[in-house]
Amino acid sequence: MRHGRLEKADADEAAVNRVVLPPKDEAISLLRTMQLIRAFEEQVRSLFFGGIIPGLVHLCAGQEAVAVGVCSQLRTSDKIASNHRGHGHCLAKGADVRRLMAEIMGRRSGYGLGRGGSLHIFDVVNGNLGTNGIVGGGIPLAVGAAFSAKRNGRGDVAVCFFGDGALNQGLLFEAMNMAAIWRLPVVFVCENNGYGEFTASEHVTAGRDPKARGASFDIPSEAVDGMDVLAVREAARRGISRARAGEGPSFLVCTTYRYGGHHAGDKQEYKDTAEIEAWRQKDPIERLGRQLQDENLVTSKVIAALKGAVETEVREAVEFARAAPMPEPQDLGLHLYA
Amino acid sequence: MPVPRRCQNRRTSACTCMPNARNITYRSAVLEALAGEMRRDQNVILIGEDVGAAGGVFKQTDGLHAEFGEERVIDTPISEAGAFGLAIGAAMAGQRPVFEVMFGDFITLVMDQLVNQAAKVNYMSAGQFSVPLVLRTAVGIGANLGPQHSQSLHAWTAHIPGLKVVMPSTPADAKGLMTAAIRDDNPVVFFEDRMLYNVSGEVPQFEHVVPIGSAEVKRPGRDVSIIATSRMVHIALAAAELLAHENVSVEVVDPRSLVPLDIDTLVASVKKTSRAVVVDGGYRQYGVTGEIAATIAEEAFDWLDAPIMRVGGANVPIPFSKSIEPLMLPDAAKLAAIVAQLLHGTR
Amino acid sequence: MKVSPLDRKTSLSIFDRMLMMRYFEEAVLRLHQERQFASHFHLYIGQEATGAAVLEALGDKDLICTTHRNHGHLIGRGSDPGQTMAEILGRSSGLNRGRGGTLHASDPSRGFLSTSAIVGGCAGLATGAAFGIKTKRESNVAVGFFGDGSLEEGLVIESFNIAALWKLPVIYVCENNSAGAMGPQQGGYPTAITATDSFTRLPAAYGIHCVKVDGADIAAVYAAATEATQRCRAGQGPAFIEAFTVRWPGSSPLWPEPATVTDLNEAWDPARLKGPHVAWLRDHDPLLRTARDIVAHGYVSQDEVMAHDKDARARVEAGAAFAIESPMPLSETAHEHVFA
Repeated sequence: MRHGRLEKADADEAAVNRVVLPPKDEAISLLRTMQLIRAFEEQVRSLFFGGIIPGLVHLCAGQEAVAVGVCSQLRTSDKIASNHRGHGHCLAKGADVRRLMAEIMGRRSGYGLGRGGSLHIFDVVNGNLGTNGIVGGGIPLAVGAAFSAKRNGRGDVAVCFFGDGALNQGLLFEAMNMAAIWRLPVVFVCENNGYGEFTASEHVTAGRDPKARGASFDIPSEAVDGMDVLAVREAARRGISRARAGEGPSFLVCTTYRYGGHHAGDKQEYKDTAEIEAWRQKDPIERLGRQLQDENLVTSKVIAALKGAVETEVREAVEFARAAPMPEPQDLGLHLYA
Repeated sequence: MPVPRRCQNRRTSACTCMPNARNITYRSAVLEALAGEMRRDQNVILIGEDVGAAGGVFKQTDGLHAEFGEERVIDTPISEAGAFGLAIGAAMAGQRPVFEVMFGDFITLVMDQLVNQAAKVNYMSAGQFSVPLVLRTAVGIGANLGPQHSQSLHAWTAHIPGLKVVMPSTPADAKGLMTAAIRDDNPVVFFEDRMLYNVSGEVPQFEHVVPIGSAEVKRPGRDVSIIATSRMVHIALAAAELLAHENVSVEVVDPRSLVPLDIDTLVASVKKTSRAVVVDGGYRQYGVTGEIAATIAEEAFDWLDAPIMRVGGANVPIPFSKSIEPLMLPDAAKLAAIVAQLLHGTR
Repeated sequence: MKVSPLDRKTSLSIFDRMLMMRYFEEAVLRLHQERQFASHFHLYIGQEATGAAVLEALGDKDLICTTHRNHGHLIGRGSDPGQTMAEILGRSSGLNRGRGGTLHASDPSRGFLSTSAIVGGCAGLATGAAFGIKTKRESNVAVGFFGDGSLEEGLVIESFNIAALWKLPVIYVCENNSAGAMGPQQGGYPTAITATDSFTRLPAAYGIHCVKVDGADIAAVYAAATEATQRCRAGQGPAFIEAFTVRWPGSSPLWPEPATVTDLNEAWDPARLKGPHVAWLRDHDPLLRTARDIVAHGYVSQDEVMAHDKDARARVEAGAAFAIESPMPLSETAHEHVFA
């Protein structure tokens, strides 16, 4: 592969700060998908505490704007690699809500025949290379998919989602270096929610600015308000266009927040409630709803109706999943090899 | 139709020999397999450190960069974990990578990606994604390379469900298994002993496939079965020659693949001879010989006239110095002595 | 960073280290050609100024990690040439009793930790050593020497993050000898597989204090190392020094080639330069350059330099002779030291 450094990206300050309102249908779709994720996570949380879901689940309520904003710019044939906090990525990339719920419950009708669970959701039809139980584990997979996309020449791209904890993984550094030297069509999306498990990010991440880690390879790197789906969408559009045009990788550091704990049972003793409340004021769903109402694109009734519809969809998914069969003993050895 | 020639290697009593075979080195045989598959399938790519312009640190990829170019023969930075992860992602997206880990010891650096990603993707995704890749690596004690450049950690990889593991001992097997590995839709770990690179043998000129999971009797015999892997096959054959002078008939069986293991062939041999010695070049403790010996005991206990003996690498880090490095593994004379002890009922 | 001219004592001390490093490596090459040992090996020829000047700036209690290219650091630190050569020859009198060899030679009595031949490994070890120092509230520092290739390994970056976060007293010395690394002016690393145009940008992203120096300029390297050690001892955290040297023509992937043979007289008599690498010897050999410089400063005469030269050669020869005479390890000792 040709070695070469990227030319330094032009800093377009105006573009970075401008929020572009999409056409009405798309705007409503953004809202709906975020609501779907929120409703889904709330149901999963409730099922977890009800003892219905085995293992652990890592919920993304509060972070919906990043998944939705980025995936809104992707084609079905584009690839994503997700992480342990991945239900939102899966849904935003088009996953079937019922099969997703069934997999999280460990049912045979799930995406992985019930053997993967929340941490190992793969969806080949939608180009989802999987949620992942290894911090940073999906990052090089996305870079590899980008490598393949470049060879295929159809203009597909890949996106990897990871948290601020993964910023300190050597694997990210190695992957960024290779993506840059080979100009691979990949967008690195960091969901910086301020916490790696139970530890505040600033206690474990050196250097004043995470963007510098991409910038040191001359990868165009942006800080994005991750609570603003329109800002995420714009930044993603820039990065994905660059990738499709053969200009190589981009790095988005999206500042966001998870209302819940690292996993559903985490009591969050390391956070104070004032902090959680302050972030709720920036809730991405409320915010887009207000913006669309201000522009007279929707009314509050429409928003309520959307919410009702997704909640129904999620409830139906739960019923489907609860009625779905468990895997059988003879399923144990299936798909060990291709 | 070419007339089959008499087999030069006394491979098996039923050997039909290989058409169009000629003598080439182990290194060249693997290279032939790689080049052949890269010509046949555009999706096959080669990724590793110094595999491209340099042709490989042991010249094991010589000429591939010139023929296939930098798009398909890729030199990576010294970033084993990241680069192997990239190879896995590329495999999931339709490529068929052959990924080279320069020294077998460095497999430690790719272990997370190998164990937690590559081995499990097909299973976790219930068949939605497969990982059709080959991880090849050179191992082998004997060049005074010291503790971090001489290990063979094949037992680690054989322990992980979802991986296939092969260890060819001859040039023909090397070509055949590399071809099979590239064509397999699963992650295959291919261990080659660099001390065999210059060993020559008969290798078919054209397409040659050795099925993964098939063992081979390299030398028929009656009195004892030596089951040996990789370079130990050659040690075992040399020991068999020594023992032949003492009227002991040794059968040498080469599993060729560790996973899947061709238990039937191994057991058939032991049922014939009633005695078994298992020889492997990795550390003895918790190694391959334990797995094979226990399996034989389970399947053929009533046929055994003596306990199964295990011969493996000494349980020490491999020392650099010339006087003690050779103590890591037996030579032909030592192995013959061990076998003789077994036959005479002493240990 | 202010670069002061070095005084006589410091200059000569550094020069003596460099002489020992150079003649030791030439002896290693010769002994390999005489088949006294097998194995791949890596020589420090062309990089002596960097190692010697850094080592001059360290104290006796400071800790050092190095890589597969360790001979220069050991000899420069004062490790016994006989025991060091014996290790390379795999003899039982070697620093590691013949178990490590050239790739893993190490001298704990002089502050060396375990020498890893895995690229990037020493960054982790040096960071850990610094952590130990800080935990024990000592004022020592840990130094990790590594090459440009190490900056492709994720582990090194993880080490930077931790060292910066915890303000560990570690100095990362990147000896950039990549072919074509012509110094900060030109920028870029044609033979490294990296997307950055300047390695210091990588640690800088973590807030680490970074300096670039001409690795063949002993005053500049000494100044950088001194500043770094002072910062560390004052609790200001880690430093990264990128030292550029022009690669010795004998460097090659598996086995070095005897491209040059040192003759200090070439330093002041360029007419004596001959062979295919005259340009390297004339413009980039740090030993010849330093010899010229210390004479030009008036610290020594040419004759005195040759006396130092003779002395170093003799010490190395004695070490080589000791090593050749030393016994190989006995089989009975093969299993020793597996466990403590």
